[in-house]
Amino acid sequence: MKKLYSNKLVILSLILPGLLLFLFAILAPICLSIYYGFTDYSGMGSFRFVGLENYRQLFQDKAFGRALLNSLLLAIGFVCIQHPLAMIVAAVLDKLGGRAENFFRCVYFIPNVISVAVIAYLWKFIYNPDFGLLNNIIKALGGAGGINWFSYDNAIWSVLLVLIWHGFGWGMLIYYTGIKNIDPVLYEAAAIDGADEKTTFLRITLPLMKPVIQVNVTMAVISALKQMETVYLLTNGGPGDSTQFAATYLYQQAFKAYKYGYGNAIGVVFILICLAATVILNSVFADRDVPRAGKGTVNV
Amino acid sequence: MKKIFAMVLALVLLVSMTGCGAAPAAPEAKSEDGGQVTLRLFSNLPDRKNGQGLVEQTIIDEYMKENPNVTIEVETLDEEAYKTKFKAYSMEGMPDVVSIWGQPSFLDEVLDAGVLAELNEADYTDYGFVSGSLEGFKKDGKLYGLPRNTDVAGFYYNQKLFQDNGWEVPTTYDELLTLAGTIQAAGITPLAMDGGDGWPMAIYLSDILFKLTGDYAGLVSQAVSTGDFSDPAFVQAAELLKKTADAGLFQTGYDSQDYGTAMNLFTNGQAAMFYMGSWEASMALNQDIPEEVRKNIRVFTMPVIEGGKGGAQDIAAWNGGGYAVSASSEVKDEAIQFLNYLYRPDKLSKYGWENGVGMSAQDQSAYMSGSETELQMQFVELVKNATKVSGTPVNDCGSSAFKTCIESQIQSVSNGSITVDEFLAAIGSACK
Repeated sequence: MKKLYSNKLVILSLILPGLLLFLFAILAPICLSIYYGFTDYSGMGSFRFVGLENYRQLFQDKAFGRALLNSLLLAIGFVCIQHPLAMIVAAVLDKLGGRAENFFRCVYFIPNVISVAVIAYLWKFIYNPDFGLLNNIIKALGGAGGINWFSYDNAIWSVLLVLIWHGFGWGMLIYYTGIKNIDPVLYEAAAIDGADEKTTFLRITLPLMKPVIQVNVTMAVISALKQMETVYLLTNGGPGDSTQFAATYLYQQAFKAYKYGYGNAIGVVFILICLAATVILNSVFADRDVPRAGKGTVNV
Repeated sequence: MKKIFAMVLALVLLVSMTGCGAAPAAPEAKSEDGGQVTLRLFSNLPDRKNGQGLVEQTIIDEYMKENPNVTIEVETLDEEAYKTKFKAYSMEGMPDVVSIWGQPSFLDEVLDAGVLAELNEADYTDYGFVSGSLEGFKKDGKLYGLPRNTDVAGFYYNQKLFQDNGWEVPTTYDELLTLAGTIQAAGITPLAMDGGDGWPMAIYLSDILFKLTGDYAGLVSQAVSTGDFSDPAFVQAAELLKKTADAGLFQTGYDSQDYGTAMNLFTNGQAAMFYMGSWEASMALNQDIPEEVRKNIRVFTMPVIEGGKGGAQDIAAWNGGGYAVSASSEVKDEAIQFLNYLYRPDKLSKYGWENGVGMSAQDQSAYMSGSETELQMQFVELVKNATKVSGTPVNDCGSSAFKTCIESQIQSVSNGSITVDEFLAAIGSACK
């Protein structure tokens, strides 16, 4: 066996499929994107090189700035609202036990099972100013109703709420698995030492969950940057550019405005931003990494 | 490092999807063995059971019956998805017959890429095309496609609702704005506007501009070529649009609601008016719409604007959608033959008329049966009595970058999140 693995050809044949996939499905398109990012290609016919013109335009493009700001808002929303909540709910679920635990675990995960298109239309109806559920609830509670949830100023918050709600179950499930993997002996020891719930959570659960948090937060930030389909179906970036995200803007420019070269330039900047975000997040967590507690990790 | 790799992998999946243009697995269905011909038709009419899609399918079925050696394979997508895939096809090889739009925003890039076959204009002298309707489908005097419809923009209104409440059809724009207040006071939405899509509002803006200038074609083409939209007519038109939105003519949240939602407001009787093109004249025949609404739908066109040069009978009308044949088609002759069959006056025109899908770009007077809906007849009268027509709406007069820009910025200017000057500057810079 050992001999087989030291054979260079065997090694090559084993890594080749993955390598080819990476080269042709990932690296080559990136290179093409970089190449087209320097052109004024419309997606059809001939094109010419325009140098850094696309990038110059991009950095003056208010809509792109808005898209990045919105992505940032979403990332903050995920990290500061969705994840703390998901973590607390996961910890509470863990304590519930029995049927209630299973029931609520399912309930919280349901939004993730429903198709994005259904979610988007569901919320479109909930938010509708004329016959929407939300305004009717407000009316029933004695409010005036008639609020335009997708007005220029409100739209981004309405969209953020949907996105945070939609991704909640997924984050929670990963935290829940993480908590379940913590050795119960530690809790027993803490109980013997007289630690209360809060201390147990802060001193045992939280530190042991760090690797899980790291994975979860990184994924959340990346998914915030990549956000596309829900927003596309919910508002399509409008009104104006108020709910534009990087990916929706890329799609709009490349495929609706036929500015394929410009779209690719957005794609390249987008890759750089995502890479930077990943590096920053990794270094943030690396500084505070604690020795892993064996079982306290989750494979994602 | 592993994580970085995983992240890159996840990210790049998205980029690579857009990056390689989602190349379709080019279905090579063309075969010519034993005289058998397979024509591929790519259409933007996914609904094959109603309206225009039904008309198209009926003619296809008849053609296959009359020509047993021809099989026509139809692929349909919604307009937006259609345009995206059209672009992918332009690199991979087009289907033989395709839907197109005779407007610069769509056709300029397509003709520059040379993917459409040239047609012989002389062949169509007997087809009864309305004069000027072929112009949008030409480049350098050569014809590349044929128009299907004559589109007219108008205000559909619920006649019963108007009569019951004593409202009058407005004859001036000021009356329209006053009416908006009156209808609102009655607790009804004055007008349902599909503002989420952008283009209906851009047509509305064009309609206003037409009533202000009396003729905007030259003005717009000048502005599109220079990127300078500072002409007072544009300023005035955009200000009027803003004023209209402020006056509450449109429903709450109009700038985020889609076609279906806006239309439902009207067809359910929650809105008194609906601004849309003549292609929705088939509402009067649509069994899904409650009878008391369906039977009472009438239409009026943009009222005159005080100080404007456009008269009461000048209408916003143009020839938009149509068909063309692919330049790379291996069965080009058969494809053109089918195209010609499609446009025989007793096909598209006649069936379209009978199905109430609005007016074709050909002379339809021979097919009047006397059983037309009142709504249909109103449109016929509007076109017949028109003193002038606007031509292509403003948003379709420039490149697709211009179109995308104006359709998104028009939401911002109407809801007041950007000023009129910012709006005009933005659409101007999209022309460069």
